[in-house]
Amino acid sequence: MNGFRSMAAESRRVVYAIAAAVALFLLGQAVHPGFLGLASVESILVIASFVGLVAAGQCFVILIGGIDLSVPWVLNAGAIVLTTTSLGLESRAPIAIVAALVMGVVIGAINGAGVAIFGIPAVVMTLAMNGIIEGLVLGFTGGFTCSACSSYAPPFVQALAHDSLFGIPDALLLWLVVIVLVTLALNITRFGRATYALGNNPRAAVLAGIDARGMTIMLYAASGFFAALAGILLVGFGGQASLGMGDPYLFTSIAAVVIGGVNILGGRGHYLGVAAGAISLTVLVSVLLALNMPDYVRSIAYGVVILGLLLAYGRERET
Amino acid sequence: MQPDTTADALPRGNRLGHLIAQNIGLILAGAILLIAIVGFIVIYGIEQQRLPGNFELTSTVNSAVPLVFAAVGQCFVVLTKGIDLSVGGVVDLANAMAAVTMGKSLASALGWSVVILLVGAACGLVNGLLVALGRLQPIVVTLGTLSIYQGLAIRVLPEPGGMIPPAFTNFLVNPNAPYALIFIVVLALAWSAFRRSRAGVDLYAIGNDEAAARALGVNILRTKIIAYMLDGTLAAAAGLFLAASATAGDATTGNSYTLSSIVAVVLGGVSLFGGRGSAIGAIAGALITTLIVNILFFGHVNPLFQSFYEGVFLLIAVVVGGVIGGTIRRRPK
Amino acid sequence: MPAVPAVAAIAAQSVSKSFGGVKALVGASIAISPGSVHALVGENGAGKSTLIKILGGRITPDAGGVTIEGEPAHSGIAASRRYGIGTVFQELTLLPFMTVAENLLLGREPRGRFGLIDRAAMPEVAERELAALGITHIDPRALTADIALAERQIIEIARVILAKPRILLLDEPTSALVEREVAWLFGQIRALRDGGTAIVFTSHRWGEIAAVADRITIFRNGTDVGCFDTIGEDEAITLMTGRQLEALFPVRTPAPDNPPVLTLRGVAGEGIAPLDLALSPGEILGIGGLAGHGHRSLFFGLFGAPGFSQGEIKQNGRTLRIRSPRDAIRAGIALVPEDRKSEGLFLPLKIRDNLTLPILARLSQFGAIRRGAERALVDDTIAQLAIRTPSPAQPVGVLSGGNQQKVLLGRWLLTKARILLLYDVTRGVDVATKHEIYDLVAKLAREGYAILFYSSDAEELAHLCHRVLVMRRGAFVADLPGVGLTAEAIVSAAMRESAHAA
Repeated sequence: MNGFRSMAAESRRVVYAIAAAVALFLLGQAVHPGFLGLASVESILVIASFVGLVAAGQCFVILIGGIDLSVPWVLNAGAIVLTTTSLGLESRAPIAIVAALVMGVVIGAINGAGVAIFGIPAVVMTLAMNGIIEGLVLGFTGGFTCSACSSYAPPFVQALAHDSLFGIPDALLLWLVVIVLVTLALNITRFGRATYALGNNPRAAVLAGIDARGMTIMLYAASGFFAALAGILLVGFGGQASLGMGDPYLFTSIAAVVIGGVNILGGRGHYLGVAAGAISLTVLVSVLLALNMPDYVRSIAYGVVILGLLLAYGRERET
Repeated sequence: MQPDTTADALPRGNRLGHLIAQNIGLILAGAILLIAIVGFIVIYGIEQQRLPGNFELTSTVNSAVPLVFAAVGQCFVVLTKGIDLSVGGVVDLANAMAAVTMGKSLASALGWSVVILLVGAACGLVNGLLVALGRLQPIVVTLGTLSIYQGLAIRVLPEPGGMIPPAFTNFLVNPNAPYALIFIVVLALAWSAFRRSRAGVDLYAIGNDEAAARALGVNILRTKIIAYMLDGTLAAAAGLFLAASATAGDATTGNSYTLSSIVAVVLGGVSLFGGRGSAIGAIAGALITTLIVNILFFGHVNPLFQSFYEGVFLLIAVVVGGVIGGTIRRRPK
Repeated sequence: MPAVPAVAAIAAQSVSKSFGGVKALVGASIAISPGSVHALVGENGAGKSTLIKILGGRITPDAGGVTIEGEPAHSGIAASRRYGIGTVFQELTLLPFMTVAENLLLGREPRGRFGLIDRAAMPEVAERELAALGITHIDPRALTADIALAERQIIEIARVILAKPRILLLDEPTSALVEREVAWLFGQIRALRDGGTAIVFTSHRWGEIAAVADRITIFRNGTDVGCFDTIGEDEAITLMTGRQLEALFPVRTPAPDNPPVLTLRGVAGEGIAPLDLALSPGEILGIGGLAGHGHRSLFFGLFGAPGFSQGEIKQNGRTLRIRSPRDAIRAGIALVPEDRKSEGLFLPLKIRDNLTLPILARLSQFGAIRRGAERALVDDTIAQLAIRTPSPAQPVGVLSGGNQQKVLLGRWLLTKARILLLYDVTRGVDVATKHEIYDLVAKLAREGYAILFYSSDAEELAHLCHRVLVMRRGAFVADLPGVGLTAEAIVSAAMRESAHAA
């Protein structure tokens, strides 16, 4: 216990977030035997991986005290770019994937430039960007009525979301790789140190020679990248792109970041906690579904759990 | 800079200069509103070969009122350096309750309106307590309560429907004349009274610098709770107007008010960093937002592109407003 | 001298207070009589501000208590108002985007119709009240964010005085004021004293203390070490520092005779006129003068944050373009700012992370930090600078002010910068650490570093620097050689208005 006490507050929050996920899994098993079966857990984790990927980008941005409200339509645009570019053809899968990801990165970079260079508040910049992308996607696809819009994701992308390697779903493997990479990036690289420095004290970071503009643009670009990546996986999962498929991911990604122990004002937190947060939220929804709870109960329970977790450990004093 | 001005009386910055510099956000919002009105009249005139008349004015005002109320509510919280993501949930809840409870008579509708406004205030109270007592960040608190209020709304009205008495619709959003302007004027007057109350001054003090305000003896807890409760009440009022317009209820139509109330507040020159701006600006912002939609409609812009133009407009307004505001404030006085 | 009545207006008995393991006050006591001005003197970090916050009810002591007219007092803002205590803190509490009038009248605004606040009348009321205090040069309609620092300090003081306090606590109220404004303040203080108010006052300027104080309590290392009606400056300083003034500073080595490494020609920026300056390796060039006269623009301009608007910077004869801190760091320039909490350190982050941030490029391979090499450098720096910490993984925020400052110095020494801009680096640092910092600065100069040294403490400048340039209104008004230089000479050069104003 002494070792636990002496941990930094944000590391402790990662432990809390993981404990919450485990507790929710156990709760699921208690109310619905079979919940902890391998297939059930796997499918929950795959769904959590979509949230987790979006939350990775959101986490980067929140770590520097920003926020990305453009996630829903960047995700949706990623999905539609993938299907309309590939037209369901395996041969066009690589170019389609690259196109979707590049689009995500470019949109994110524009968000970052708006925040860092023009000094637009992140809320306003990314909210406007969400509208801009929504308008462009709807306009150019005729509201998802274009002939290419009904294309399916190429088999490769569908396989990515459905197949398994060594008994582990591909999507989950991809998320594991992302978890490892993001954690390493934040913890052992210059990039990570600069991110935390900027989030803690932007003025001091600039005076220590950090390129605040470059970093900000890069981090928002990363958020765009991850939203587009989630869009690709989701379209592989569901087969087709659909109108509004990104909408649930805005608040869910922010919630995952926050219950994962990342300070919403920036500077503190780990992606490991965010991943646990994404799992917690997905497990929660699954438990309520397993109990045949109506929509409204899910919505209320969702809010209560977020607030409850935050009240339980989100206010802990910084040491 | 003159660091050591001496005890001799110096020439004052002129009053008009101060007035402009200190209200630049409001002035810019007014200017954009004026441009939007003129733009609307011109585009309407070109398209319809006549000037907009009573019908257009009435429909514009009626479609703007819910957002005006939601935006003023949001403004209270933003002035404390907070943000309220649960506005949409409260609008939903009020809308759903109205459709379910009001029945057929105006009297019952008015009675239930009071109850619904109180429910809105209670929603705000929960937000306020969690923020001020729970020491949680407003964005996170209201993200959680948004989900809760939306859930409650669906519980109250699972399917769109219910009914609103026609007399109530005529009372709030009369389709024949722009009577609803009265509510906007009343709201503006109520704001200017609030601005001149203890809570009004304290609200600005908190938004300016919470630590300093505390040191100066401002009651942070009370003031924040008042701000969130007024916010919740006004969001509920927005839900009532929305229900009256639609003459029926829908537990999800209010969702968009979370983000559009933030847009309106920003366009109205209220600083998201707290302590600067006013509800008058938020009202202007809400009217601008509504007019932009009308302009796009009458300009025959493909409605699918609508949010693209809204987004671009928001960015231009914020960047240009920031540049002009900065120039005027830096200008030597 | 008024006779000391039996019961003190306000008194603290053996109060102690620690912040995160750092002892700010250790059994300190003081008693202030009604109708007297009581000066608290001591080094930065001696505990004066903490004591004032405790007397003002803003902090509860860990041990000991406060009495008011002999009765135990409650802590808290509301209680202190009830007791009639008015406090002017070092950190101003003005609200930036509200007008001077709104700030001045906060909580007691004039009411008009329906009991509503009469906003239109506020500027006139404020103007009248300010005029009654003899302040006619500050526009009550201006936003406080738009008025000068000295004016803000005056408004802060005026707001407290207008509440007619029975006990008035002033924590360095004169830090941004010039002579004439100080004279105004002292007039107000004497009038309140004559009306029976008990006044506590801290200042770093001995002349002010001698001029206005009826009693003087000296603080050292968090406790009172003596209380006097009159005391000479030398004796006071010996008590304050625990050593002779001379012993605090390292022996001055002669100024080097090297060609300058850095020359500025005609540089100008916000609040500074075109300036020329030359800095040589091995030289400690002092920059003196009262706060708010352009020192900050000079130091931060040289560091590119933001850069100068005009003029030329040459390093070893080559023109330098410094438009961002990155440019400056690349040129081997380092800036240690005064406000280490907001401009220097990342308090929740580890000492290690704070130390190596600017040199990570050097420590990294393919973007990944070489931990072994970093660890070695960090351990080495902690040992060399004698930073007192159990581990480099400690958050910087838990260290004492002096050790925090050493971390910041260590960061810039690691960059191998040869030009150091030290901006008031001993502010809020305890005496022992100050001594270490002086030794370090002198040693660095001997090793050939070029050091530009600003301090708000004229004593430091006088004893440490080879040469001191005094700034006034953004220009250099005096160039004083270091040998035999006194603090008084620097202060009088900074204050002399006749040369320019009259």
